[in-house]
Amino acid sequence: MINSGAKVILEIRGLTASVAGVSILKGIDLTVRAGEVHAIMGPNGSGKSTLAKVLAGHPAYEVTGGTVLFEGKDLLALASEVRAQAGLFLGFQYPVEIPGVTNSAFLRLAYNTVQSGRGKEELDPLEFDDHVRETMKLLEMSPEFLDRSVNDGFSGGEKKRNEILQMALLEPHLAILDETDSGLDIDALRVVASGVNHLITPDNACVLVTHYQRLLNYITPDYVHVMESGRIIKTADKSLALELEARGYDWLLNEKLDS
Amino acid sequence: MSTSTIEQLVNQPYKHGFVTDIESDTAAKGLSEQTIRFISAKKAEPDWLLQFRLKAYQHWLTLTAPEWPNVNYPAIDFQNISYYSAPKQKKTLKSMDEVDPELLKTFEKLGVPMNERAALAGVAVDVIFDSVSVATTYKQKLADVGIIFCSISEAVREHPELVKKYMGSVVPVKDNFYAALNSAVFTDGSFCFIPKGVKCPMELSTYFRINTQDSGQFERTLIIAEERASVSYLEGCTAPKFDTNQLHAAVVELVALDYADIKYSTVQNWYAGDEKGVGGIYNFVTKRGLCKGVHSRISWTQVETGSAITWKYPSCVLRGDHSVGEFYSVALTNHKQQADTGTKMIHIGKNTRSTIVSKGISAGGSNNSYRGLVRIAPTASGARNYSQCDSMLIGQQCSANTFPYIEVRNPTSQVEHEATTSKIGEDQLFYFQQRGIGAEEAVSMIINGFCKDVFQQLPMEFAVEATKLLGLKLEGSVG
Amino acid sequence: MQSQLEAVSIIQALVAGGKGLAPSAAPWLNERRALALERANALRLPSIRDEEWRFTDISMMGRVPFQLPVPHSVIPDISAYVLPEAQWRLVFVDGIFNVGLSSLGAPVKGLSISNLGDAIQNTPQLVVGHLAQHAHYENRLFCAINTAWLRQGAFIHLAKEVIIKDPIHILYINTQAHATVNVRSLVVLERAAQCTVVEDFVGLGEEATFTNAVSEFAVASSARLHHVRVQRETPAALHIAACAVSIEQDGVYQSQSIALGASVSRYELEVLQKGPGVEVVIDGLALIKERQLADTHTLMDHAYGSGQCRQLHKTIVDGRAHAVFNGKVLVREGAQLTQSAQQSRNLLLSSDARVDTKPQLEIFADDVKCAHGATVGQLDQDHLFYLKSRGLSEARARNLLTYAFGAEIVARIPVRSLAAQLERAVMTQAQTTL
Repeated sequence: MINSGAKVILEIRGLTASVAGVSILKGIDLTVRAGEVHAIMGPNGSGKSTLAKVLAGHPAYEVTGGTVLFEGKDLLALASEVRAQAGLFLGFQYPVEIPGVTNSAFLRLAYNTVQSGRGKEELDPLEFDDHVRETMKLLEMSPEFLDRSVNDGFSGGEKKRNEILQMALLEPHLAILDETDSGLDIDALRVVASGVNHLITPDNACVLVTHYQRLLNYITPDYVHVMESGRIIKTADKSLALELEARGYDWLLNEKLDS
Repeated sequence: MSTSTIEQLVNQPYKHGFVTDIESDTAAKGLSEQTIRFISAKKAEPDWLLQFRLKAYQHWLTLTAPEWPNVNYPAIDFQNISYYSAPKQKKTLKSMDEVDPELLKTFEKLGVPMNERAALAGVAVDVIFDSVSVATTYKQKLADVGIIFCSISEAVREHPELVKKYMGSVVPVKDNFYAALNSAVFTDGSFCFIPKGVKCPMELSTYFRINTQDSGQFERTLIIAEERASVSYLEGCTAPKFDTNQLHAAVVELVALDYADIKYSTVQNWYAGDEKGVGGIYNFVTKRGLCKGVHSRISWTQVETGSAITWKYPSCVLRGDHSVGEFYSVALTNHKQQADTGTKMIHIGKNTRSTIVSKGISAGGSNNSYRGLVRIAPTASGARNYSQCDSMLIGQQCSANTFPYIEVRNPTSQVEHEATTSKIGEDQLFYFQQRGIGAEEAVSMIINGFCKDVFQQLPMEFAVEATKLLGLKLEGSVG
Repeated sequence: MQSQLEAVSIIQALVAGGKGLAPSAAPWLNERRALALERANALRLPSIRDEEWRFTDISMMGRVPFQLPVPHSVIPDISAYVLPEAQWRLVFVDGIFNVGLSSLGAPVKGLSISNLGDAIQNTPQLVVGHLAQHAHYENRLFCAINTAWLRQGAFIHLAKEVIIKDPIHILYINTQAHATVNVRSLVVLERAAQCTVVEDFVGLGEEATFTNAVSEFAVASSARLHHVRVQRETPAALHIAACAVSIEQDGVYQSQSIALGASVSRYELEVLQKGPGVEVVIDGLALIKERQLADTHTLMDHAYGSGQCRQLHKTIVDGRAHAVFNGKVLVREGAQLTQSAQQSRNLLLSSDARVDTKPQLEIFADDVKCAHGATVGQLDQDHLFYLKSRGLSEARARNLLTYAFGAEIVARIPVRSLAAQLERAVMTQAQTTL
């Protein structure tokens, strides 16, 4: 939902970043306002996932230039857990498995840490249990997930649902979902997408990082950006995604070369 | 950021390093038949015990130190060790008040306010300071139900028939190099006897400490649970910081008769040496339990975080039909520590069962090996074993090894072994951080999750202590 | 003790025999043989006091009057062992290459198949970089002796990108009682080449023979080798074999190794990862009975990162037989992103059968996924119950499950006729079950 008067949640200017000395992001500019859904598309290796990780503060990436304001604050100056507490959420492409740590203990700790970081009240285990079970219904998740270790032995679809469950619990102001559709069958995709749709409000924003158009059949973006070689080379509305689906990325790259 | 965070997390200085100044009655360095006669005379022992020692010594002379463990250290000069060191006792102590205040202060520094702790927690503490017991509490309460809990020296005086019957029956004097050495020169240790049908009303606990520099430590522990008796025994260790290595070669023997149940828990946090591997304890221990009776059960739980070198295999000989052996272990190594630890489950009786759960955590430049033997004898029909050995690596200079030996001679048995490795690295920490959880809390949560199956086996008080210990070793200095 | 001395004297005779061999025309080979001889002289005969030989008693070497085979011209009947799928076949009778029984097919560009002796003479450039360069004999007596004796053997070379679909069959067949045979295979795959090699060790009759085999496989980058190994020596035989595999970047090595014969057999497989990203599959099945002993030692050496290895070693042990497995997975420092899993599964069919298994992990890199597991025991009670509940008798249900246990490995052999033969062997053993 585009409302040019809405408050700016994320403002990226001239962002460059490298990993192990290799430059990956070569100048990204992007503004995301409350209520908007952005899709970032692009071929493999174009830097989409790197952008997501840099925004969340992954230690392997070094920011070499540019600024990022998150609700007016200098995002790059914050430790990654403080970014999460401030309301930035990253849905991982490959959520890590943590054997031995139960999902319920992990979710409660994350929830309470974020709550207290926002000056809100923490929930005791019983209250939290009620809250999380209610939220899980939204994603058609069985309560047995709570007793299993975090992502350990989860199928691809279960991992992605677990990511969206965390998104629902942490109520982020900006959710960046990195290839959330990869590895999902059509039913899981529908459930995950409906969960995300449910969580989008006029006060928050969502950035979908995806290689394929498929997810965008279920979650309608306001803007579609195409990345290539560490830059956003085209921005348009939803129709761009359909065109990419039909024609691939090459025509765009050629167009860019021509221009 | 996170690589250095992990480094910080695992680089926690040893908090228990100090030397207590107490006059010691120390034997001259060196080992000979003379030394053994000196120890035996000092302790006014009966002749049979002197003969036991001499037999062990004669055999020890024919042995060489084992080389098969996956550990490296300079050869030990056994002539450069003092084999006897006892705090001077002015009189026999009847209560805690009479204990040397210096001693009590030591325990306070360790965070073990003994009398309070003993009273509040209902724990009887048989305090071992260097090699001689100086105080025993709750003795009377235990005596009321017929339990004997005292030092080995006292047991030799008061209950020679029991000591004579059981000492060396589980770990023979000729068992191995260090057991033979211990049998020759042991100075003191704990003795515990639970008579038929008695459930010990409290957790029995002993705090071991090594104090005098260069004094080898050779404790001897003997626990006997008669028919249908049960006991839970706790052993906790911390040691002062020294630059020269100290040898510790204890022997622990457990005997469980029909339907008896012995649970033996250890939290070990001896000085591990500094980051460069200078100093630290050599911990070469022989621990073995004999499930002699039918339906008996022996359970070992250990949390090993200290010592420069650990060489230790608490074992169960499952002789009684339907007997049960268990081994739950967490071994954490950091810096230059080396640990080669595990267990042996020897199944002899029918329908015997054993469970092994081993969790190894390697950090820094350390080397952590699990070595375990499961042997099913031809007689052990219906025997079952399940082993799970997991390793976690933190950093790229450490190593984790798993050496299970499985020897099966009976077709009706079932043996299962599983092992996995995992890590705490950048991606794991980032995942937690992205959910708002800081690195320190993340490491603590991952480690406790990893070790959960073992911690669940510890008595309540120890579980808390163990969690704190791992915390001490792996967190606390996040910047 | 006496037999130990006798065994030593046999070794000495072997060493002397190696020394007495006429030098070959290739100075580099003479040099390698001389070095190996030196080691063979220096190394002690292993005994059960050595950790690596703890369960494998080879003192029968001293009780059987093993001797070098006598030259003869009897042509054995190999029809039972011919694989119809294989148009290339190298046959060695008592260690000597037999042209008449071999089948060298139509020439294919980039494919060399010959007696190793001929290759040393005719195409030394293909041999010199590999022969005795992969299988280390410094600390292995039998490998040192084999190297000192190096004259004949199987040689297969695929030039880069050559792909051979049909299997290549190497048949080592022993016919003479008490013969001591040193055999060697050298298989070299250049970049992106692909083939399947079957090594088949056959003993005719009932008498004891002693095979000392060494195989070397060099798999260059992106090459794929499928290796099938069958050991069906006589029931009285002694079979000691080593196989060394070197794999370069993105190379693939898959193997099934089946041990059926011999009184005492030992197979040492060492796979060395010489570049990142290799893929290795190692399957083993030992099917033994009576007083047989089958010992398998494996080493998977992840010297580089991103390697994947999956191992499944099974044994079915009947009578008073004894299966030994010792598998080591080594992940060296820096070999990040290694994924290596090893399983040892053992089935005991009789009360006197015995299994000793030791799967080991040694890990020096932190970002790896490694697991191993071992089970020893009987058939799964739930499976048995399920089959019985469907009306099968206890005996039938057991036979079926035992068969399925072994057939899982055999079914992975890509040579249909061989898999069928081996399935029958598994079936026969399964039916002896109670």
